[in-house]
Amino acid sequence: MSVKYIPVQWNQNKWIYDAVMLIGVVAFLYIFLFVTPDILSHDYRINPQVHNARAFGACAFLMLTVILCIGPLARIDKRFLPLLYNRRHFGVMTTFVALSHASYIINWYFAFARSDKYEALLFANTSYTQIAGFPFEVFGVFALTTLLILAATSHDFWLKFLTPPVWKRLHSLIYVAYVAIVAHVSLGILQDQQNHVFSFIFMAGALLVAGLHAYAAWWQWRGGDSRGTVRDGWLTVGNIGEIEDGLAKIKVLPNGDRVAVFNQAGKLSAISNACAHQNGPLGEGRILDCLVTCPWHGFQYNVTDGRSPAPFTEMVPTFNLRLRGADIEVHTDPNPPGTYVEPVPLPQLQPVETLA
Amino acid sequence: MSDKNTPFFVGYLPSPGPLRWFLMTTIGLFIATFVSAGLFIGATQDAPMPSGFRFDYGPQTVTGVIELTPYPILRVTQGNELIQEGKTLMLAGQGKNGIDQRVMEADGQLRSITGIVLQRGTIDMLQVDGRARGVVDVEGTAPPMETVPLGRWSLAGEICDGKCLYGAMRPGTGLAHRACAALCLIGDVPPVFVSSQPIEGSDFMLITGPDGTVLPRAAYDFIGQFVSLEGDLERRGDVMILRIDPQTMELTAG
Repeated sequence: MSVKYIPVQWNQNKWIYDAVMLIGVVAFLYIFLFVTPDILSHDYRINPQVHNARAFGACAFLMLTVILCIGPLARIDKRFLPLLYNRRHFGVMTTFVALSHASYIINWYFAFARSDKYEALLFANTSYTQIAGFPFEVFGVFALTTLLILAATSHDFWLKFLTPPVWKRLHSLIYVAYVAIVAHVSLGILQDQQNHVFSFIFMAGALLVAGLHAYAAWWQWRGGDSRGTVRDGWLTVGNIGEIEDGLAKIKVLPNGDRVAVFNQAGKLSAISNACAHQNGPLGEGRILDCLVTCPWHGFQYNVTDGRSPAPFTEMVPTFNLRLRGADIEVHTDPNPPGTYVEPVPLPQLQPVETLA
Repeated sequence: MSDKNTPFFVGYLPSPGPLRWFLMTTIGLFIATFVSAGLFIGATQDAPMPSGFRFDYGPQTVTGVIELTPYPILRVTQGNELIQEGKTLMLAGQGKNGIDQRVMEADGQLRSITGIVLQRGTIDMLQVDGRARGVVDVEGTAPPMETVPLGRWSLAGEICDGKCLYGAMRPGTGLAHRACAALCLIGDVPPVFVSSQPIEGSDFMLITGPDGTVLPRAAYDFIGQFVSLEGDLERRGDVMILRIDPQTMELTAG
């Protein structure tokens, strides 16, 4: 959370995250660039430019594969949520690694010709009507352009400027970029492989991303947030004993949005489930220090008025609540963001022995 | 609904104790994945064909008869220790360029050529020095050179550029190299055909269009792929030249 824009709000966890990421990437590149040539011991070595291009290209693919696995893993097992926390730094670093790959390729395969190397990238192969020999470079250009756009707009300034829904849609292009990279590799280097170790690792990575997303979608569909019954504009959330102190229950509204009903010290309040930062699921968060805390990046809100504590200015809509017998009901129309709503006290549940 | 038993991570707070072991294990797996991937992908790359620049020989100067096929070749009449008389060399310029402009008036004439050897087995190419010493006029009458017609052949293999095939780039063939090969051919680097079966002892040959024309543009769509084609084959010294019939080119199973 921040009241002003600074390049990076560093904290210990971000330092650790970036350090681990760097160690992984540097280890990959060091081994590929400096260890494997001696292991290969070819009589006539692969050109250093081609070797470098392959190292950075394979590293970028692996990085993107890991990045795209984090989302579904965090949905399936909440213990993976810390990997989501600083994923944007991972994405920006992937862009630089991919850019290095492109630079080696362009300055080798497309250089030394009579024409400009960037123009050559567009006209050297125009066999768009055939699969074998298709100009696979175009998929790489698209993927790199997308990565550059996403890296350039990864800062919270752009998130706020574009609004979270638009920003999230824009950044969903990462999936299209990944598909383009799969096509880029499949129609390019994979066509020439005699040794199929890379082919196997590549296919395993792509299938892992696809499989994890499918499994996470099924997981959420099976145990996802349910729609309540609506009567006269009020939606049934559940029973008064269902929500533990400090936690929430999420319900899907008729318009598809979600509402999170929190129990804070025996009083119920309802706010939008979408965090104002990145639309993170507030209902999957916790109340810490009397504030709802988003599980993605730790943005906090007062549960009674949906406002972040001063000096922060983020706000989310609130909802009116009522009890109808033992049922908790929430009004389907949200209040404007930041509107105070008096919490609804839960009735004191008496021990069974007393009732008997 | 979230579960109170699951440790709750907040980025700007210290990690909850129960989560630390899980995260340490994840970090270990992450680094192990990158280390092993770098090793396995890097150490299992295919070996390029045994070919390449021989800068270790230094610049070589030989004299011979230029023949335009239309791509220029040099039939050596006065060699040196490395390149013997009677050898035939394909000629290319620096970068992705041929030397057509420098020898266009020299068909059938003697020239002294200086350049760096590109070697693939026993067959050589010269990358001609870009300076004036690269191509020098030589006085004297060029001796007649024999061309041996070998008839019409039907072949299968790959079209690529001669310079990369000779090892200017390793690897210098295949679909991943296709755009580079196309740029070389656009720059008039001699095109070659790598045959799936050796013909007259050679597994590759210089290719041209029919009747001594340059490689037809239609052939560019087949670069780097396994194709079958027909053409008239001839031998000039130790270089074979295939004058392809563009109508017969078609993709075939590798």
